[in-house]
Amino acid sequence: MGAGIVLQDPASQLVMERVGDDVAFGLENLAWPLGTMRRRVPEALQSVGLAGFEERRSTRLSGGEQQRVAIAGVLAQAPGLLVLDEPTANLDPDGAAVVARILATLRDQRAATIVLVEHRASLAWPLADVVLALDQQGCPIAAGPPADVLRAARALERAGIWLPDDADGSQAPAQADKLGPVSRSHGTLPILELHDVRFAFEGGDPVLREVDLGVSPGDRVALMGPNGSGKTTLLRLAMGLLRPTAGEVQLGSRDPWRLAPAQIARLAGYVVQDPELGFLADTVREEVELGLDAEQLVFAHELCERLALPLESFADRSPYQLSGGEQRRLSLVTGLARRPLLLALDEPTYGQDRRGHEALVAALDELVEQGSAVLAATHDERFAQDATDRRIELAAGWIVGELGPRDGRAEYGIVVAGQGELETS
Amino acid sequence: MTAGILIPDVGPIQRASVLGRVNPLVKLGIALAWLVGMGLTLDVRPPLILTLITLIAGLQLGGIAPTALARRIAPLWLAVLGIVLANLVFSAHNPDPLATELFRMGPLRVTQEAVDAAAGLGARVLSIISVGAVFALTTDATFLIDSLVQLGRVSPRFAYGTLAAYQAVPKLADDLGTLRATRRLRGLREWHPRLIVGMLVRAIRHADQLAIAMDARGFGSGPRSTYRPVRWQPLDAVVAIAALAILVAALVVSR
Repeated sequence: MGAGIVLQDPASQLVMERVGDDVAFGLENLAWPLGTMRRRVPEALQSVGLAGFEERRSTRLSGGEQQRVAIAGVLAQAPGLLVLDEPTANLDPDGAAVVARILATLRDQRAATIVLVEHRASLAWPLADVVLALDQQGCPIAAGPPADVLRAARALERAGIWLPDDADGSQAPAQADKLGPVSRSHGTLPILELHDVRFAFEGGDPVLREVDLGVSPGDRVALMGPNGSGKTTLLRLAMGLLRPTAGEVQLGSRDPWRLAPAQIARLAGYVVQDPELGFLADTVREEVELGLDAEQLVFAHELCERLALPLESFADRSPYQLSGGEQRRLSLVTGLARRPLLLALDEPTYGQDRRGHEALVAALDELVEQGSAVLAATHDERFAQDATDRRIELAAGWIVGELGPRDGRAEYGIVVAGQGELETS
Repeated sequence: MTAGILIPDVGPIQRASVLGRVNPLVKLGIALAWLVGMGLTLDVRPPLILTLITLIAGLQLGGIAPTALARRIAPLWLAVLGIVLANLVFSAHNPDPLATELFRMGPLRVTQEAVDAAAGLGARVLSIISVGAVFALTTDATFLIDSLVQLGRVSPRFAYGTLAAYQAVPKLADDLGTLRATRRLRGLREWHPRLIVGMLVRAIRHADQLAIAMDARGFGSGPRSTYRPVRWQPLDAVVAIAALAILVAALVVSR
């Protein structure tokens, strides 16, 4: 009865090329006999809903499937303690839901003690027998059964911790109309236009099909859809990083593919999904100030304050040594600092606690007031609700749904009211 | 995307083929023996014979689709052409007054000796490329690593670490693309030595995470068992003997 650990990034914990071998890897290390392994590997895969995946290549699986392979590899050893470090952070809602279901089954079987480290309270809360809430310094704020911990709701909120049930925001819009209309389209020329855009990688299946999309100054658009539905590809086409296989992309009435770097940087800011891939300098200060003029510098410093990255304490640190949430905010500072006309954001709220979320929404709102447009690929239902008013659903490269502009936004007050009920029940 | 180019897709057909079932260590041994054998002569024929046999074996015994084989080796054949031309033009034989002159182009004199040397070299590179391509297209990475560990006594830490690192290559290639894109979007030119720092950080971080994940699963904690036992089979001996016979025949023919 050892301990097993599942890490955040599914791709970097797979050792073997094939799924079956990877699940068996831990058993080999414990010198299990071959016969037992041959029995145990399919069992473990079955318990995570991947029966028959033994010969599949682990690099070809989706993130959600990879994470389930990692869990199967740990489960195969029948550990007494199972530690999971934000196992759903990199997954889309469907993938996260499957992992949550698996964890719920494991909990019901009482086969192992499960320690789950998680940002998404809505996922973790219903699974927990005991909740331990930590503040930013790692000191406990509250510990105990979930209902007891919820009594400390105020303290939790102060520490920026998400609470359960306010994560999906679905019940919020009911009262939102009193906040007034927030459709802010300025009705001018679109900053970004896609006409019948198709895209496929060479020799591959189409990633985007017949996509038509216009984004005008003041628009706030959420691109939603499962992993692999083409969200990031659409952003990259808009930024001129890819060239459409057919159709036309216009950024500021120009073909972004042909724009010089300096021109494109004035038009658009792109915050990539993995913040580390957006870092170009050795210190946070250099990173923030890279290529900015005097006026942009003032705004960049202000953004640092607002996004909880004060330069007094962060200036000399390496961007690579920040926490995941801090890295995300730093990449947002660099994307927003030029006040570009189009903000293309890929999973902007990844790893953010409540405070990070609120600060980001406020900063985006301010830029939109000044005429910028937001185009954000996101899985985060709450962000879509709070920071955007148009929603484009993508599935397998098609635009399958479009919603908005909506006439209301969620506010936190409503959500907190909802918590009172939870506490008394 | 990039994955297909960097890591050949050894599909089920190739894996089940004769060359796919031969132990990868045997194939490595054959490649080595052929390399040494070709060093015994400067003649152009043995490497050409071996190239031809390798390609036919790859198609017939390895189950490789002709298009897949062509895609893999065509760019390298262009490189061979470059090597041959360079050796032809800059050969030390050309200025030698005793060498047989074939033709002149302005100041350039091309001799029979230069042609022979260039052709011999080109044929050798060609055969190495072909053997390498057929090996890569018929060898399952897991089979290779398991064989190295179980039959070749290679340290598991090295072997499995390599296998895991190899799987990260396409991801790192994508990372490089994103890093360049980021530079462009911030108004900078795409290529800059600083990109290497970003790539190194990524590679080290990946290795670090992987090491944690491997250790967490008890790697290196003591004696291991194996999920895919690998043994020598009669087929290995048959193919090894046939390959040696082909080499000897190719060398004899050229006498």
